[in-house]
Parts: sequence; structure tokens; C-alpha cells
Amino acid sequence: MSSSAAPHLSICNVTMKYHTANRGDLLALDTISFTVPTGEFVSIVGPSGCGKSTLLYIVAGLLRATSGEVLSKGVPVAGPSPDRGVVLQNFSIFPWRRIVENVAYGPEMTGLGKRERHALAMKYLRLVGLADFADYYPRELSGGMKQRVAIAQMLACNPSVFLMDEPFGALDALTREILQDQLLQLWEQDRKTVLFVTHSIDESVLLSDRIIIMGRRPGHIKQIVDVSLPRPRRSAEIRLLPEFARLRNMVSALIREEAEAAA
Amino acid sequence: MSDASDTNLIVAAHRGQGRAIAKFIYACVNSILRYYPIFILIALWELTARLGLVDPAFMPPFSSVMITLFQELFVSHELLIHTGYSFARAGTGFGLAAIIGITLGIMMGRSRMVESFVDPLISVIFPTPKLALFPLMMVFLGIGDASKIALIFMGCFFPIIINTYTGVKSVDKYFIWNARTKGASNFQVLLTVVLPGALPMIFSGLRIATSMAFLMIVASELIASNEGLGYIILYAQRSFNPELMFSGIILVSAMGFIADRLLLRLGHWLFSWQENEDE
Repeated sequence: MSSSAAPHLSICNVTMKYHTANRGDLLALDTISFTVPTGEFVSIVGPSGCGKSTLLYIVAGLLRATSGEVLSKGVPVAGPSPDRGVVLQNFSIFPWRRIVENVAYGPEMTGLGKRERHALAMKYLRLVGLADFADYYPRELSGGMKQRVAIAQMLACNPSVFLMDEPFGALDALTREILQDQLLQLWEQDRKTVLFVTHSIDESVLLSDRIIIMGRRPGHIKQIVDVSLPRPRRSAEIRLLPEFARLRNMVSALIREEAEAAA
Repeated sequence: MSDASDTNLIVAAHRGQGRAIAKFIYACVNSILRYYPIFILIALWELTARLGLVDPAFMPPFSSVMITLFQELFVSHELLIHTGYSFARAGTGFGLAAIIGITLGIMMGRSRMVESFVDPLISVIFPTPKLALFPLMMVFLGIGDASKIALIFMGCFFPIIINTYTGVKSVDKYFIWNARTKGASNFQVLLTVVLPGALPMIFSGLRIATSMAFLMIVASELIASNEGLGYIILYAQRSFNPELMFSGIILVSAMGFIADRLLLRLGHWLFSWQENEDE
């Protein structure tokens, strides 16, 4: 546990209100505060509708909070930046670009030359094991491959923090497990700061150093759970540990309270 | 024997060329087979005219129409000149509509202010049959090229701007978000996400506009003109020259068909990244 490190992300009193036509103001997030220390893997879990994705979009700078602020390395977030890499849940890589052009997108936007960004893209495609698919279009790839491309696309911008919004949410169980292991392996190499939104309890326990459990109506932090499972972790081994089962059941019970209250 | 072997030698020497010719013939036969109902129709036309089942003053045989068409196009160049007139007007109107329609459509899709200004205007003017405005345009712009180009512009503009606007609006928010988190500026988002994302819709708008352009050019030239294919069709009808009249009709529909096919081909090539339903 390295929570003594300086906070990379500070979320301070973030509140989000939406104006709706017939129900007045809807409070989506109610004064959320927490910090993510540099090099820590933090997951946000909660029942659907608790505002966890909204919170991630605010940290990314894609949405503006009604009040409160987000600091990244002490600087207030005013908009999106390639330094805060984002992977979205909905296969958001560009269908009109070949795989290698997708991965080279960020460097292309920031003005890197054609040859350099191609080499860079190929490096990250090799890292996610998709170098052979460089000239394919996204439609020719499976869902799991597309999300690996999205991860490579983010890595090519060399971000210092990864913001991931249910990146494996739309994948089948087996593909999901494989990608979780790949992400663990990738992350354990250079331990970037990660904020990871998921609705899978297993996933959050498997990957994170800390789990932020959110409740809904309005979206709030219910509890923060430390995960002290040993690293490096591999899915198959970790799942066998009694500590994994204990944490899993604990998080599960907390979320079920929330879900049942609303169901 | 020696003839045959000579031929073989020539064939062997021009093998690549021979293969290309064979391929071309195959393509021709293939398209003839594909469009066989049209050939049946032409055969029926020829037969009924030759057998005197219809008055040749109304409907001359297909073959004599073809002869007239060939002569007027390539010998006297009469039809060629009129085709040039029609094509220039249609092209100008279509081109202007494409440039202004796409630009304004993108602005509408991207800016609330432009959207709320242009949208009501479109919903009021769009349902008006554009041909009904032609007499008004003649009053303002005269009976020359300007009023016809204006009519074609009106016909083409609406399908283009509406399709562009819809296309821009339907670009997935997550694509735009993804681009912005990778450091793309607003202009870069427009160029690398909004435009390619909306292009299939813009293209189908252009296809609708092409057919509108041909409709409007013929209509306007039928109403008031001294040149162009619409004029020729009407002139031929009035001067009891059915061969020329059918030549004009065939020319107009052939032009429309070819323009549509070319656009379709271009679309297939541009959107190879998309899933093709017909494959």
C-alpha cells in the first residue's frame, strides 16, 4: 500500500445537477470527495444509475461539475487533456480509420510526423498483441480486440493517469478475464495512476488497490475499501485466495444494500 | 493448320491484352444479363413499332431513334450542344447547392445558434414544391440561365442540407469525446470525426440531389428555354419529330443513370470501412 504518495487526482466536493423538463433539478452526484495517490489503482463500483460514469467524465474534463473541482497534479481540470487518458465503454475507436491510424490518432492531433507516429502506434499495437491487425478496419475485429485497440490508442498519448469507464463491460466472461490479466500485466510494469469504473465486483477486487463504493439517489460515496491482495496478481491465482472471497462478499453486500433499497 | 498456329502465337504474344479483352467481354455479357428486362422492353418496343401496332408518329422503332440519337450527337452535334447547356446549368446549380448545403448543414449540426435560426426556415420552405417557385424566379432572374440554376439549386439544396445536418447530429458523442481526450482541437474534431462520421449521410443527400437536378433542369427547360434537353424534347414534340423526342428522353435518363452509378461507385470506395449490407 503506497497511499502515502502525493495525490495525483483530488476530487473536491464535486456535485452534479441536471435540469430535467418535468421533474425539476436532478441531483446526480452529491458532494463527492476523495483522492487518488500517484501510482494507485482505484476502482469505482456501484449500482447502475449511481453516477459513477458521470464522475469519471468530470475527472476527464468531458463534463463540467455544477460545483466543486477536480485537481490533477494540483492543477484544476478545465477540459480534456491527453495527459489524462480515457478508455470509454462503447467501442469508441473510429470505424473509418484503420487500426494503426486509430492508435496513432493522439500523436497525429498533437503534431507528430507521419513516420514517427506510425512507429509509435506499431509499438503499442505489439504491446496489446494486435500488430498483425494494423491494416484492418475496426469492423473486422472482435469486441475484445477493439477494446485492446482503445487501450493502445490511449497509451500512445503517453498519459500519466488512466481513466477507464467499464472498458470490459460489453465483453463475454472469458474475453473479459483475459483482458483483465493483460491490463494487470501492463499496469504492473510502470504503475500509472488508474481510476477504473466498473459494475463488476470481481473485477474491482481483482484489479484495485482501493475500491470506492458508490450509492445512488443522489450519487454519493458509501464506503472506501482497501484491497491488500499481493501483487503481481493473476486472475486465476487471486480468485482462489480466501482474502479475495472475503473482500468480494463484503463489497457485494454493500452494493446489494444500495440496489435493494432502490429496486 | 498454319493459320491456327499463327493465331495461337499472336494470342500467346498478346496474352495479357487478350485476358483484358476477355475480362471486358465477360463484364459486358454480365451486365447485359443483369439488365435483361430492359432488353426485353427494347425488343418489344422495336417489334410493336415494326409490326405497325402503334402509330410511328407517336412511337417510332427503337432502332430509328438510335440512328437519330447517333446523328444528332456525333454528326450534327445538335444534341451534344443542348446536352452541354443542360449539363452546365445542372452542374452549376448542384455544385452551389453542395457547397452551401454541406457548409450550412455542418454549421447547423455543430452550433445551437445556427440550428435554431436555420431549422424553422427549412421546415417552412422545404415542403413547398420548388417548381411552384419557378415563375417567381423568372420574374426576379429573367428567363435565362440564372432562374434555371436557381431552381436547380433550390431542388438540390434541401436534401443536401437536411442530410448533412442529420449526419452531423448522428455522429456518436463518444467518438467526439474520445477525440477530445486525445488532444484534438475543435477544428480537428470537425475534420477527423464529424466529417468522416457524417459523410455517408452527406453522400446519400448528394445522390438524392442528383436526381432532383435532372428533374429540375428538364422541367425548367420545358417551361421556358431556347436550348437544353428539355427544350429539345418539347421542340421535337411540337415539330412532329418523335425520333428526336425519344432521343432527348433517352439521353436525359442515361445521364441520370450514369451520374447515379458514378456516385454509388465513389461511395463504395469512400466507405469501404463500413459494413456493406449487400456483401
